[in-house]
Amino acid sequence: MLIFIARRLGIMLLTAFVLTFVVFFLTNLPPNLEKLARSEGSVRMSDESVTAWIEQNGHGGSVLTRYGQWLGMVPGWVLTDEKGVTRGRCIAQRQDPAEASRFCGILQGDWGNSTFFKKAVLPSLGEKLGATGWLMLWVMIVMVPTALVIGVVSGMREGTRTDRALSTFSIASTATPEYVSGVILVALFASPVTGLSPILAEWGWIDGKTLFLGAASPDKITFWSFTLPVLTIALYGIGYIARMTRASMTEVMTAQYIRTARLKGVSFGQVVIRHALRNALIAPFTVIMLQFPWLLNGVVIVETLFNYKGFGWTLVQAAGNNDINLLLGCSVVAVFVVLVTQLISDIGYVFLNPRIRIS
Amino acid sequence: MIDKTRAAALHPAAKIHADDFSAGKISRREFLTRTTAMGVSAAAAYGLIGLPTPANAEAHVKVGGIIRVGMEVKGTKDPRLADWPHISNVYRGWLEYLIQYNADGTFEGRLLESWEANADATQYTLKVRPGVTWNNGEPFTADDVVRNFARWTDGNVEGNAMASRFPGLVDEATKTLREGAVVKVDESTVQLNLTSSDVAVVPNLADYPSAVVHSSFVDGDDPALNPIGTGPYVPQEVSVGQKAILVRAPNHTWWGGTAPLDEIQYIDFGTDPSTMVNLAASDEIDANYETTGDFIEQMDTLGWKKLEVVTAATIVVRMNSATSELYKEKAVRQAIQKAVDLSVVLELGYNGLGVTAENHHASPIHPEYAKIPDQVVDPAGLQPALEAAGIADTELEVISLDDGWEAATTAAVVAQLKDAGANVKHTVMPGSTFWNDWQKYPFSSTTWNHRPLAVQNMSLAYTSTGSWNETGMANPEFDAAMVRALALADADARRNEMVTLETILQDEGYIIQPFWRSLFAHVKEGFNVERHPSNEHQHYKWSVA
Repeated sequence: MLIFIARRLGIMLLTAFVLTFVVFFLTNLPPNLEKLARSEGSVRMSDESVTAWIEQNGHGGSVLTRYGQWLGMVPGWVLTDEKGVTRGRCIAQRQDPAEASRFCGILQGDWGNSTFFKKAVLPSLGEKLGATGWLMLWVMIVMVPTALVIGVVSGMREGTRTDRALSTFSIASTATPEYVSGVILVALFASPVTGLSPILAEWGWIDGKTLFLGAASPDKITFWSFTLPVLTIALYGIGYIARMTRASMTEVMTAQYIRTARLKGVSFGQVVIRHALRNALIAPFTVIMLQFPWLLNGVVIVETLFNYKGFGWTLVQAAGNNDINLLLGCSVVAVFVVLVTQLISDIGYVFLNPRIRIS
Repeated sequence: MIDKTRAAALHPAAKIHADDFSAGKISRREFLTRTTAMGVSAAAAYGLIGLPTPANAEAHVKVGGIIRVGMEVKGTKDPRLADWPHISNVYRGWLEYLIQYNADGTFEGRLLESWEANADATQYTLKVRPGVTWNNGEPFTADDVVRNFARWTDGNVEGNAMASRFPGLVDEATKTLREGAVVKVDESTVQLNLTSSDVAVVPNLADYPSAVVHSSFVDGDDPALNPIGTGPYVPQEVSVGQKAILVRAPNHTWWGGTAPLDEIQYIDFGTDPSTMVNLAASDEIDANYETTGDFIEQMDTLGWKKLEVVTAATIVVRMNSATSELYKEKAVRQAIQKAVDLSVVLELGYNGLGVTAENHHASPIHPEYAKIPDQVVDPAGLQPALEAAGIADTELEVISLDDGWEAATTAAVVAQLKDAGANVKHTVMPGSTFWNDWQKYPFSSTTWNHRPLAVQNMSLAYTSTGSWNETGMANPEFDAAMVRALALADADARRNEMVTLETILQDEGYIIQPFWRSLFAHVKEGFNVERHPSNEHQHYKWSVA
């Protein structure tokens, strides 16, 4: 087991290394650096100024050296300008250059500064991950029980009307991407001019202009502001997990031991809960764990749509502004989340299914 | 309200303008812009034409309250590098200006008590307002003014938006402030000695990058880090892309008295205006920065007050002969320009919320505007001109932002060119990439902010040395006429040169400048907010009813 975990952690480090290098390489392509120079300096800078800015802010030289600096294996750049002011990667504002350390990369625990947030990457990322954590938590709370109930109910009696109705719902919801369902939900429930809200407001059923809010903020999480973003992400997952649960449930329900139990005279409810459920839930468990990395993906769209300032929104801003350090930070976090949830999923599998042994 | 001693020292041209106003030659707005630019106080200017100064509402205003404004929070940077009014609206809380451009077209001394120009606009005398202190207790003096001029005129700083504004004060060799150009006469008087006449000094001092910073400010730094300023507020939080909060400066007596609001919060909603409407509907904001296009109607539906101001803000769909061979020939450019019916562009691109322009970037609300003969729309002339140049089959690409009225306007231009037989396509880009090369696209649209004088935009954009020249236009006659125009403090005299400037610019055919925008914003009932033609947020004028 320990060897297994160690191997997994090794893979994680390797993946993070490769991914960050790819991201680093892409964000350091010359046009992207120019973009960064313009947003940091001034939109209306001349081309010569842009080249000078890139050189003077440590973005010159080979990509490998700069990646080494980010890792902390190559000494950070130091530059003294014509006015005699020394600046460098490891020199904080107003710090004496002599006191600054030579290396300051991720190995030294320094994630660098975000050019977009104008703050250190690590605290900004932490704060944003926290915000997304709340969103994910509520998504899971809504999504998992709903999906399991739908899946089990439709799977226990295959081919009935209930099954057909629930299956249709699941397929429809999983076939609708977030950027479609989100827009539809906002138009239906959170627009002062279309959908239900104006009607409800006219009847005097709601105080405000809209039923739910079309924008959410991590500072103030309420039922009214969180319903739509949570629902948007959850709807897609509900359908998917429900389909998986149903498939697994129908398979279990046709197994010999279920028939035996029924023939022995055990009631249908008892059969489902005591005999079928545990075996039927093994497959959905993996699927649910797989949802975490996918959720990171889903929040990008939903957080942008609902202006919720979390991890997904940060990723969009970092990419849009070519914020190198922030993007690299996001990549490391993404690799971490994906592989850790995979690890948990594999270990959990062992407990659910005693026939499987790891290593 | 006219102070006799001041009235005696009025600029000689002020009287002429007053007569013009009485004779109906100029509007009230033009009169105020012209006379206040010459150093006549707003009160005196109103007095000259026999009108009372608009009642100052401050006396009746309730002190206290918070306002939440939906605006992109782009962070703060060294004011002279500021490239968006949004940036200045945050630091405007604690950094003030020597001179302020008011929404009614007047110039008002803020950190200056008064200023005077000599007859040919080569010498300006600035009087520093007494009793102004920085929020760290130090007094504001003539030294601060001189130091800030040195900052503004430093052409060696990359992206310094102020560097090209004061050509008469700069030593061309070192690209810094010329020795003896800005002289401290005494503790409260500063004299500007220009090498050539410049009428734009006053408007330039009022533009958003010209905020006055303290001596402890480190060049290139973020002003929010160590917010020493003269203004009534200080930043409590500036989180880029999220929010900015201005609160009253503690232990600071603001020279202007008490600013009514306790707190101003800027809430960032990204760039999608529909999010702004959502925020407004869910009571997350009380006012917005700007309402555009279709969203005006939606905001009206919410029951918010609509604020409108007519401006010289515009969009220019221009060709660039410096980066593209296609537009080197004047005949081609003229044919393209004349193939577009500007009133159709206004209707389709901006819902008719403005006034049709004349392809020469001078607006009727500019004091020196001159009427020149109307152009004739001639779509039939396009195809022959393209054929004559041998590019009839070449695909022309017009680039614009991907959304909003900028895209719609450009689409309306493209559609008309297509109807006239050109092989043309419309390419859109998101704002994050569009502005990287805005000056270099062969054919694209650029938005231009309102500026008080027509010569300001023209000298920036169409002279061969203009720092924001995006057309590649280099016409010696135009350059010469601009030099002459910038020497004339009197707008009427300048109008003769304007005829030349407007005619050349229109005739060169580089720009399709379809309309002047009316700008809109919305505010919830119960809040008093002013819509400013240059998107300035003069917080001290705001209040909660």
